[in-house]
Amino acid sequence: MPTEDKTVSITEQAAPQMAPEGPGLFKRITNAVGAENLSLVIALIIMVALITTQTEFFFSPRNLMNIGQNMAVVGLIAVGMTLVIVSAGLDISVGSIAGCASVVCALTVTQMGTVIGGVAFGMGIGVVLGLINATIISILRVNPVVATLATFSAFRGVAFLIAPGGRPIGVLDQNLAWLGSGRLFQTETFPGLPVAFIILIIVACVAHFVMSSTVFGRSIYSMGGNPVAARLAGINLTRMRYAIYAISGALSGLAGVIVTARTSSGQPASGTQGLELEAITAVFLGGALMAGGKGTIVGSMLAVLLLATLSNGMNLLGIATFYQLVAKGLLLVLAVAIGQWRLARAEKQQSKLAAAGK
Amino acid sequence: MSSAILDVQGVGKSFPGVKALSDVNMKVHPGEVVAFVGENGAGKSTLLKILCGDYTLDEGTVYLDGAEVSHASPLEARDAGFRLVRQEPEIVPHISAAENIFIGEYPRLPGGRVDHAEMRRITTDLLERYGFAGVLDIDALGRTLSPAQQHIVEILRALKEGVKVVAFDEPTSSLTTKEADRLFALIRKLREEGLGIIYVSHRLHEVMAISDRVVVLKDGVPTGNLMIKDTDEEEIVRLMVGRELAHGYKRDEVTTDEVVLEVENLRSRWHDGISFQIRAGEIVGFAGLVGAGRTELAKVLFGEFEKEGGTVKICGDVKDIRSPADAIAANIGFAPENRKAEGLILVRSVIENASMAVYSALARFGILRTQQMVDKVSPFVRQLEIKTPSMEQEVGKLSGGNQQKVVLARWLAAAPRLLILDEPTRAVDVGAKAEIYRLIDDLAKQGMAIMMISSEMPELLSMSDRIIVMRDGVISDPIEKKDATEEAIVNFALGTKAA
Repeated sequence: MPTEDKTVSITEQAAPQMAPEGPGLFKRITNAVGAENLSLVIALIIMVALITTQTEFFFSPRNLMNIGQNMAVVGLIAVGMTLVIVSAGLDISVGSIAGCASVVCALTVTQMGTVIGGVAFGMGIGVVLGLINATIISILRVNPVVATLATFSAFRGVAFLIAPGGRPIGVLDQNLAWLGSGRLFQTETFPGLPVAFIILIIVACVAHFVMSSTVFGRSIYSMGGNPVAARLAGINLTRMRYAIYAISGALSGLAGVIVTARTSSGQPASGTQGLELEAITAVFLGGALMAGGKGTIVGSMLAVLLLATLSNGMNLLGIATFYQLVAKGLLLVLAVAIGQWRLARAEKQQSKLAAAGK
Repeated sequence: MSSAILDVQGVGKSFPGVKALSDVNMKVHPGEVVAFVGENGAGKSTLLKILCGDYTLDEGTVYLDGAEVSHASPLEARDAGFRLVRQEPEIVPHISAAENIFIGEYPRLPGGRVDHAEMRRITTDLLERYGFAGVLDIDALGRTLSPAQQHIVEILRALKEGVKVVAFDEPTSSLTTKEADRLFALIRKLREEGLGIIYVSHRLHEVMAISDRVVVLKDGVPTGNLMIKDTDEEEIVRLMVGRELAHGYKRDEVTTDEVVLEVENLRSRWHDGISFQIRAGEIVGFAGLVGAGRTELAKVLFGEFEKEGGTVKICGDVKDIRSPADAIAANIGFAPENRKAEGLILVRSVIENASMAVYSALARFGILRTQQMVDKVSPFVRQLEIKTPSMEQEVGKLSGGNQQKVVLARWLAAAPRLLILDEPTRAVDVGAKAEIYRLIDDLAKQGMAIMMISSEMPELLSMSDRIIVMRDGVISDPIEKKDATEEAIVNFALGTKAA
């Protein structure tokens, strides 16, 4: 094989990234967001521009903070869903887990009077239900889609069963309500940062760190890209799956707790239905591959922002909810289609390289 | 020369920035076997893909039996009489062998129903005519077929009414010697029947044995179009790589007494009481036919498949290995045969693939910095001369030889005491092969014990200190390098004579 010298030296190329000479502003932004997320940012800018031509209210601090508030519940679930989808799995039961957690949280707070307990038990039930998902997938060897489709139904049933009479449970607790609709740094002119949004930001930052800089996170990418190769490189797939679905469950549980806090009631269904669709849409829109091995927290969060902005914009413009549902469905198809198109393009490129013998 | 059944004139094909083929002229006459040879990436596959309609050519013309087919679609190429026998056939798992053979062109009854009786009759005829009777059950479901049987299905797909030219792409890569002989008999029969045959292979001795003419490609340019009787392997290799190639690889012997791997009476689903040792600095070659249980032995040792009895000692300590993670902890490395399916994460980067097996070793409190990964593996990436634009490049976008080097880099970084290599140079081109041999030799010199499974005789004979031959789950006594001959190995592998 004839050797071209241009591609041999690797280490020399890796070094300049650390160079003190700062790259251009555009380059810096691209690096921060990730080149693959650039299209999301552009889509977001276009959408914002379209909305602002129609209504001035969009850019008011109050509206922007509302968008942040509305992102929290879906965002938390999308963080967990990113881990699941990158590992080549799927979790359809997240909305039902959130429903269970909402009820459990409300029961704990009303019966025991402890908000911390409510949060802990809400997330705890999420972990337990996530472990059940992992058991069905790993031990009973059921395909993740089918397994979590089954628990999607079963967990929703459980949520109704544990709520007395299957009805919402009212919770009047100031501290709990603060989690759902509290604001920080409130002033005369600034409506304050929503507490729920701050929770999302913290969780997303931690998840980003875990995905990019821990053995656990890197192993999720490996197992999603090729489970056999990952196992042969020493990764315990069963243990990984338990951890991943437990985290997805815990974050769905936290989302359920926030629903309870915001609505001041434990809701077996309302407020948590359809969350799986939105979270899955966001993760695919954020650049994850259906086949696993690709996807980032940053991408998923940008996609959640995009979806929240879309629904906010449509609300401001007075477009009926029904259209929003159609729009979200279209976005899901678009997201996966773009992913497939990228994959096909990458394959084409590869066959070109192969044909050229590079 | 007007009698050529396939006439390729001045064919060229470019991909953006790359000239994949230029000015290829060749003819195939009825009853002639023409071999295409060349290194990986020389343009053999591109040419085949143009002929079968997967790619369209940019320049030149192709005539099949006098009719121009330069821009034929895959279906048009098929109907015109060009058939390709692919290296890795697509087999539908839940339908029968006969249905697999006729997929896409089922014989029909009036009303559009599939004529199963006709299909079975033609299949049975074909099997008998080409010497496969008794080898393939036409009612067996696709998923139950062995690789060799799948290959027969793929061949029979090509031998339908109206076929004029059949191209075989690396047909023997998954066949045993006996199966390959049967294939050669088939090709000779097709030649007698007056078909034009194209034979693409890396194995030059096969090319010499079966073909009448050979077309050599190098970097997309034909460098030779020779009658087999007027040439020899040395000349073909020189045309392929543009340099003389020393036969085999010479290595210094390093003998130590330290036993790294000691296997005693190992039993599993495939193995019946296997015992052997590998010492530090030693390369032990494992020969045998495909299906003899060599890959399975590697996977049992590595904890991927279940061990049913016996003991495995690493450096004198008994190790209870139940998973690949256990094996890595016991200082064993394993580079599997099928690197795309089992070795690499194609959608992830070079650096991730190369550092996967050392994640835990590199991390502190589970935290792993990219810079640490780069520092750890880049010396190996450089040492192996892996050709990649950057460490972030997706492994799926590298060539086969470079992909194999990424797998090797992973185990260099992990620095195990025992390294198991399963067909380390499979589908790797000649130049990269020599580099991989040099590397394996270096590893042995550094004191690694190496278990090398290989089906390539020159590789086994030149690389191994000792060779163990496997047959149906049992092994021969180790053959010392000085006593190792191709005959001794083949005889044990086939069971014709005790080695």
